[in-house]
Amino acid sequence: MDTLAQSLNAGAIAPEAAILVALIACLLADLAGERTAARFVPPFTYLGLGTSLVLLALQWNQPAAPSFFGSFLADNLAVAFRAVVATSTLLSLLISWRYVERAGTPVGEYASILLAATIGAMLLCGATDLVSIFVALETLSVSSYLLSGYMKRDARSSEAALKYLLVGSAAAAVFLYGTSLLYGVSGGSTDLASITEALTATGVAPLSALALVFVLATVAFKISAVPFHQWTPDVYEGSPTPVVAFLSVGSKAAGFALALRLLVGCFSAFEAQWQLLFTVLAVLSMTLGNVVALAQTSMKRMLAYSSIGQAGFVMIGLVCGTQEGFSAMVLYMAAYLFMNLGAFACITLFSLRTGSDRISDYAGLYQKDPLITLALSLCLLSLGGIPPMLGFFGKIYLFFAGWADGQYLLVVVGLLTSVISIYYYISVIKMMVVKEPQEASDVVKSYPAITWVQPGLQPLRAALLVCLAVTAIGGVLSNPLFTWSNQAVEGTPLLQSLISQGPSVPPA
Amino acid sequence: MPPLADLTELIVFVLLAAGVVVGSLGVVLLPNVVYSAFLLGGVFLSVAGLYLLLNASFIAAAQVLIYVGAVNVLILFAIMLVNKREPMADAPGLGLRRLLSSGVCAGLLWLLLRVAYTTPWATPGPTPLGEDAVVRLGEHFFTDYLLPFELASVLLLMAMIGAIVLARRDVFASDIGTGEAADQGLIEKARSPLLIEKTRP
Repeated sequence: MDTLAQSLNAGAIAPEAAILVALIACLLADLAGERTAARFVPPFTYLGLGTSLVLLALQWNQPAAPSFFGSFLADNLAVAFRAVVATSTLLSLLISWRYVERAGTPVGEYASILLAATIGAMLLCGATDLVSIFVALETLSVSSYLLSGYMKRDARSSEAALKYLLVGSAAAAVFLYGTSLLYGVSGGSTDLASITEALTATGVAPLSALALVFVLATVAFKISAVPFHQWTPDVYEGSPTPVVAFLSVGSKAAGFALALRLLVGCFSAFEAQWQLLFTVLAVLSMTLGNVVALAQTSMKRMLAYSSIGQAGFVMIGLVCGTQEGFSAMVLYMAAYLFMNLGAFACITLFSLRTGSDRISDYAGLYQKDPLITLALSLCLLSLGGIPPMLGFFGKIYLFFAGWADGQYLLVVVGLLTSVISIYYYISVIKMMVVKEPQEASDVVKSYPAITWVQPGLQPLRAALLVCLAVTAIGGVLSNPLFTWSNQAVEGTPLLQSLISQGPSVPPA
Repeated sequence: MPPLADLTELIVFVLLAAGVVVGSLGVVLLPNVVYSAFLLGGVFLSVAGLYLLLNASFIAAAQVLIYVGAVNVLILFAIMLVNKREPMADAPGLGLRRLLSSGVCAGLLWLLLRVAYTTPWATPGPTPLGEDAVVRLGEHFFTDYLLPFELASVLLLMAMIGAIVLARRDVFASDIGTGEAADQGLIEKARSPLLIEKTRP
């Protein structure tokens, strides 16, 4: 009995278990009716996610033993990405309550589905077995489809859910095909360690190349890298804004963790190939995401294209394959969490007050609502990489790591597209700040008096202020974050063995 | 293995494979959805036959029960409930699109075939367990595949809840916090141009 408990090592998924308990508590509270649910579900979710974050902190820097007979590994990388996912859910939920209640949709089910998505995303970050990876991926995906169609009386929301479902199912099918090839290559085992061995033994063969392309396509779909991004703008525009906040950070973080574990870890024999593929994806994402964002008139659509561009920046760290590259990736994901969710908190609040998300409706906002103006400006400046915000340090670390590794093309494209991105971020700020009172949009002219009394607005304000504080001050005090991201890479045997394999080959 | 048994197996395989290929082509190409749905059932049954041929009787039974018995029947129900016979307008440039997509699919097929034929597969694979397969599956579910097995229950629970929430007919919705009427739509309203703006010169 003792040996069974040891080999299960079920304590590794205690953070997910805490969230699962919160999920069930939400469902039970929901049985007592909408009013009870609206009152009790928020504290339950805070409690579950808070416990989960504490348990994750306890796992930090612990020697990682495989759990569930090699299905899951709670190394520092997994802990770091799971913390990003859990925090993004917590902040998205804080933003959500007012939005969901205002739309008249049930709160308890909303929270449960979002928590299920979180469980899927967190398990995806640490799964080391193809079957676990697939089931976790599906848990995340199916919950995301449901959430994006949650405003069911709105044609745009249903359209978003349907598009996401169709494209996502196609991606899942391609992933299954790729994993079946990997299963064949390894001679009938599904854990990543034996697949890595088999792939190293066979070397570069057409079969493994095909598996690489198929798996990479799915990962690229999840992180919405160009050319697998077509779903992103429509889904982001049609989904409820707090859901978009989760999709743009939590779902993406899980995608990057999957990329690290599956592509970087398993396909180490194919380093040159996947580096080339990711270089192409990164250049395309940065260019297209940032250039197309220039032409957008809807705030959510603009942030969708900007998130495509941001994924391109993170991929620079992935391509490097060095200690600095990986830790820059982790650092940038953490920074992106706060600045992007801060921006989403602002646009959620603005749309709650005005019912609009058109960029031109923000004209002259600083006279009516200084808090949104300040927070949105700082978060957008941080996304653009203006010092001394948090985003600047994240971006400079990524570019530094890329330059040190000889990825000159990526860094130059990154710098150029950063300049473009600063242009469209600044034009939103200009719209809010520079316009004279008589030039303000009709929406702003009839802006309601600012109150925080409605239920659900206080959590939104708290999330907004936390994101604002971390984005504004985190840059100056970013040393703990640097240490944290370095430890995340140092405490991960998988990444350490990759780094010690020697410097990667710079592109000719 | 005696040659006669070999030959029988080959013939059965060819028949089943033909069933799968022709059936799936029919599913995709036939204009009538009801035919497609029934052909899909045929495809599922042929796949179950292939499993039987591989000596995986439990998987074959599960395939028939789940895909034919549940999924396909559900599809037929959905088709019967939505009996709107609206002639769909052809999308512009349909011919070109069909040509392009069939070109892409043919290329993909060629690539997959080429890879499948050039790879030195480790054949024959492990010997089939036959009737012991169920025992082995159960063992796997409760040892090394315990995590995905348990996670699948979360997935199914959540899919059920989500399906009910999306399909439920709640006529009156209101804001729990303030009691105002709500429309279960996005807060960001699509702006329809006002009549005044339209008539303005």
